[in-house]
Amino acid sequence: MSSENGSAPMGSGTAVKTAEAVLEVHDIHTYYGSIHALKGISLEVRAGEIVTLLGANGAGKTTTLRSINGLNRPRSGSIKFEGRDITQTPAHEIVRRGIAQSPEGRRLFPRMTVVENLEMGAFQRNDKAGIKEDMERVFGLFPRLAERKTQNAGTMSGGEQQMCAIGRALMARPKLLLLDEPSLGLAPIFVEKIFEIVKTINDEGVAILLVEQNALMALDHADRGYVLETGRIVLSDSAEALKTNEQVRKTYLGES
Amino acid sequence: MVAFFIWLAINFVKTPADTTNVFFIGLSNGCVYALVALGYTLVYGILELINFAHGDVFMLGGMISVSIAQSFGLSAGDAMLWPLVVVVLLLSMVACGAINTTIEAVAYRPLRSAPRLAPLITAIGVSFILEDVGLIWKGPNYVNFPDVMPHSNLVSFAGVNVQWDKVIMLSITVPVLLLLLYLVQETRQGKAMRATAQDMDASAIMGIDVNRTISFTFLIAGTLAGAAGLLYSLYFQTVRFDQGFQLGLIAFTAAVLGGIGNLPGAVLGALVIGLIQAFNEGLQWHAPGSDWTQSIVFSILILILVFRPEGLLGERTPEGG
Repeated sequence: MSSENGSAPMGSGTAVKTAEAVLEVHDIHTYYGSIHALKGISLEVRAGEIVTLLGANGAGKTTTLRSINGLNRPRSGSIKFEGRDITQTPAHEIVRRGIAQSPEGRRLFPRMTVVENLEMGAFQRNDKAGIKEDMERVFGLFPRLAERKTQNAGTMSGGEQQMCAIGRALMARPKLLLLDEPSLGLAPIFVEKIFEIVKTINDEGVAILLVEQNALMALDHADRGYVLETGRIVLSDSAEALKTNEQVRKTYLGES
Repeated sequence: MVAFFIWLAINFVKTPADTTNVFFIGLSNGCVYALVALGYTLVYGILELINFAHGDVFMLGGMISVSIAQSFGLSAGDAMLWPLVVVVLLLSMVACGAINTTIEAVAYRPLRSAPRLAPLITAIGVSFILEDVGLIWKGPNYVNFPDVMPHSNLVSFAGVNVQWDKVIMLSITVPVLLLLLYLVQETRQGKAMRATAQDMDASAIMGIDVNRTISFTFLIAGTLAGAAGLLYSLYFQTVRFDQGFQLGLIAFTAAVLGGIGNLPGAVLGALVIGLIQAFNEGLQWHAPGSDWTQSIVFSILILILVFRPEGLLGERTPEGG
């Protein structure tokens, strides 16, 4: 079931949902300066799926997301979204195609209000009515944000900022949502809440690629998962299978 | 501070008319400083780069204005004088905007991911290059701008004279400032600027073209320098290749005084420095005089950096700036 460099890994029994791939990443190599961070990553996300990337710090999870969203271009390999190649597409064009992200560390605009942050999420859209509608939808998902509309994002708590970051990504009306460590540094009650909402968003038809340290939570909610180690995918399977995989249990679920 | 205001008050009591006149001189100087200071603060806000070449873009604006004004044959009393001045203003703004954008694309953009010192040194290099361009173009001497400003009084009351030239300075500067504020606060491009200033990567994944936004910022900064270039030559009637260095330093001090990165702060800082300079040089009773102007301005810079590094209107940020 393990897969080294090469074609997209399709572990046995993975086909939880048999839809076509929205995102196809094929054998990408990405560098940070001279550091070879991704050594041939291949993965795919199909319509309606939640796919999770597991791995230790420095395994290349965030770099994978940064390759997909255009902030770190891969030196070789290809990335296709809805069948079209986006490997060399600039970051600001990629969001227009339908990929939005809640980045690691949230990266809100600290000196803008919650509403302004959400508006920035819809920067590339022109449909005023639709934007207003989506903003109401975000406030529906996160009533806490509605209470803090005019507060500067930088002054909110970590959990509220995370909600705002996810809300901001939703404002782009994405077809694929990249979530990087949505539960990092949050109180357990917030973690539950965030994952509930991720599920809700997914039920509305948005495919999700989720990077998460909290492997148990991630596997509980995902359809499939990939395990990364030092820039390579070493394992890929359905979330159910990964949860019972001995190696995964030892390394990521804290069992001895 | 208190001593300064007491000194000002005593001067006002002794010579109320002079003090008021000097106040208007300071306001006019402050206008020019404000336009240049905004360029420093806009660029710093977005790139955290002190664009040392900015003062020299202002100098080129002056030279461009002189050249165009001479070719138009501007002269006082001409019926078409003011429309032509506006044309010169617009041409100078466009030219300086183009120059500044080109500088960014050629000299700063390739260094976007380099350590911060690299673009800073480059900026100093560009500053020297622009000065040399000015030197080769117009020579080492003062170039005269046609003296077209009316120096007659608009209002004259009890020795207080408000001259036309000062009114003109204000009436050009204020609309430009209001337009800028509207641009940054209300427009889509302005929002992109503010977002890019706060987080470049996050802006990119919102769909903001970061390179274009930075270009646009340099364009705006350049047009402001172009406007300042014309105003300065209109007001003082002289232009020289090294004027950008000194005025640039004063404007930079103004930007730091107001809180670098803060637009209203830059205007406030510029007016304060313009006024202090005018009071220092124009008042009768115990004023240190123009020999001391530079010392005073840069003492202010040092005092701010020591006691209030975030400036008058700046916010305290975790980075301390």
